[in-house]
Amino acid sequence: MTSTPLCPTAPATPAALPPLGMALLTAALCLPLAPLAQAESQPERGSITLKYLDYKDSQPGWNRIWVHAPSVAVLAPVGENWSVAGSLVSDVLSGASPAYHAEPNPFKIHEHRKAGDFTVTRYLPRGTFALGASYSTESDYVSRGITAQGSFASEDKNTTFSGGLGLTSDQINPNNKVVVNERKNITDLMVGVTQVLSPNDIAQLNLTYVHGTGYYSDPYKLLDNRPRNRNQTAMLLRWNHHLDSTDGTTRLSYRYYTDTYHVKAHTLTAEYVQPLASGWTLTPMLRFHTQGAASFYVEADGSGYPVLPPDYAPGRIVSEDQRLSAFGAFTYGLKVAKQLDKDWSMDVKVEQYQQNGAWRVFGTGSKNIAPFDARMIQLGVSRLF
Amino acid sequence: MSIAAPATLFHTPFEAMASRCEVKLNAPTAAAAQRYADLAIAEVKRIEHAYSRYRPDSVVSRINAAAGGKSAVLCDAETVSLLDYAGSLFAMSDGLFDITSGVLRQAWNFKQAKVPSPSRLKPLLDLVGWARVERDGARIRLPQAGMELDFGGFGKEYAADRAAAVLMDVGVTQGYVNLGGDMRVIGPQPDGSPWAVGIQDPRRAGQVIATIPVSSGALATSGDYERFFEHKGRRYCHILNPHTGYPVAHWQSVSVLAPLSITAGSCTTIAMLKAADGAAFLAQTGLMYLTIDAHGQFGQPPA
Amino acid sequence: MRFITKTTLSRAVLAVSALMVLAGCGLVKPVQPWEKGTLARPEMTFEGDKLDAKFTEHIYGSKEGASGGAGVGGGGCGCN
Repeated sequence: MTSTPLCPTAPATPAALPPLGMALLTAALCLPLAPLAQAESQPERGSITLKYLDYKDSQPGWNRIWVHAPSVAVLAPVGENWSVAGSLVSDVLSGASPAYHAEPNPFKIHEHRKAGDFTVTRYLPRGTFALGASYSTESDYVSRGITAQGSFASEDKNTTFSGGLGLTSDQINPNNKVVVNERKNITDLMVGVTQVLSPNDIAQLNLTYVHGTGYYSDPYKLLDNRPRNRNQTAMLLRWNHHLDSTDGTTRLSYRYYTDTYHVKAHTLTAEYVQPLASGWTLTPMLRFHTQGAASFYVEADGSGYPVLPPDYAPGRIVSEDQRLSAFGAFTYGLKVAKQLDKDWSMDVKVEQYQQNGAWRVFGTGSKNIAPFDARMIQLGVSRLF
Repeated sequence: MSIAAPATLFHTPFEAMASRCEVKLNAPTAAAAQRYADLAIAEVKRIEHAYSRYRPDSVVSRINAAAGGKSAVLCDAETVSLLDYAGSLFAMSDGLFDITSGVLRQAWNFKQAKVPSPSRLKPLLDLVGWARVERDGARIRLPQAGMELDFGGFGKEYAADRAAAVLMDVGVTQGYVNLGGDMRVIGPQPDGSPWAVGIQDPRRAGQVIATIPVSSGALATSGDYERFFEHKGRRYCHILNPHTGYPVAHWQSVSVLAPLSITAGSCTTIAMLKAADGAAFLAQTGLMYLTIDAHGQFGQPPA
Repeated sequence: MRFITKTTLSRAVLAVSALMVLAGCGLVKPVQPWEKGTLARPEMTFEGDKLDAKFTEHIYGSKEGASGGAGVGGGGCGCN
């Protein structure tokens, strides 16, 4: 073997090429060889995902609700610049919800909800535009909605602005005929900015504002009567960070929420995504939520009965709904995903949730209300096509 | 950078385009390396499928099947850019680099080792001619039935560049893509030293005749040893002159170092086709090269 | 939008300006196209598993007094 003295430190591009060399290189540079920096781009392949959700909640002494929900989602690129996405869910709910606070409602519920949504997205060189529609129906509740969303990226694609508008119209006909043909109309607004901070960091800030009018009460709860206007504001900050040392990714989020019911809430979520050998991915997660009670929430007494205001009269705004009480809640969970081959993947997610008045932070929690537990299991299988 | 300095290099061999191929790359973990390699391999296979003459659903097959027909075939943007490239190279090589010349292979059977008669070659030579190909924007039409396009002259090099682009896109900074000897380097070895790329000895199979240090860019080699037969003491190789229909015979091999694999590969092919004028052509490009002539003598850029 | 309280608004403005300042004033070096390989990984995006997100939002929306933040049009249902 001869080691030639040929260009020992040969530069791949000599400082200045003669015309023929430049012409050859220029011809090649017209080819799509540069790595592409893209704004959100059309998915290269479509996907179909099947998921099964099993949800069960309980309070000391009784099992409340059990939900089985199979669902399917499809995403398909269409032509060069479009995609369509849709999903269907069928959830079957059985059990009993509380009549007030944590007291069981004597009537068992069996409800079957069917819901679907459909979105068409157009991909532009510097952004996206999407229109969507959704529909949900159950025996006592029908909801119809439309959405429009857009995003626009800066020239270097490091900053993306997004915005959205949603209109939802709900029709409520409770089976117990407490009210008939009630309505709820909701307008949703969202603005957001996503910023690439480093090759390993990306952050997002979203603000959502929801203006709703209509029937917000729970027809199956005793004495429940809520204001007919509700405006909700949420600020969500998310930050994803990739760790080179482990090849894992931390996903952190914080949400501040406030509304005209005077509920104020803080929600923190932390996930850590760890890819492992052979296509396995483990994602442990932790969530903490704390909220103050709605101004019209009525506390329970030591024996579990509502403590109505002394001047209570029918028609007055009150609610004993536990979800409007002051509490703290923890969720811990684990998601295990496996890429089976280049097309197929599967995942299982198990989460345990508990609400407890004593866990409220930034204030005192609601008293005399039993802790509430829920267990969620998701099984999913997905295929690219 | 997205990949920390003390990253390890991972090596993945694979088969594609009827060649032995490999990628070597830096990545934080073996799982990440596998994912990156899979992306690069998928890109190579995508190009192989899209431009294969042997797949009836490939773009090339669709264009060839419509040869002599009335309607032109509408091509995607990538194919249009490759056709434009082929046109530029045709002009720069005085018509020697011609992607319609693949049809001549019908006369040359390297297994039977038989030299075709001029009467066998004549009708095939009539089917060669990029200048006659009709182009209108994204539409292309081969005017005569039997004419064919063949992207084999640069498909592998294009795939090497695309695979390297995919790897650089995910943050790979060190390593290379090697598609059957067409080597596109992404970045130097972890200690900063160049990769020592071996050049095949044209007369002793499997032996390296020279090594070239490369830290970035691409090295390509064309030779008369890749596919050939000998008849009455003369070597007939697979690189066919589109004007005569006969194999080139001046060089045993030509290697070129260029920023892109496709440029390096096109220069080696043109130099082989230009025969005695090949050295002057290479000198005019200003690129680094190493030629080995019919007598085994090395040639390099004039000092 | 008189329902957006002053504190919320000022907090939001603060957070947006913090992001802008980070991005614009050189504390954050603009990331080059070829450095975005990691950012393209699914776990680095905010989209993720859409069905999972939908389930989770639906469940928390029906068990807690707060919702929103991620997008528009959650879809109404009797569980709220």
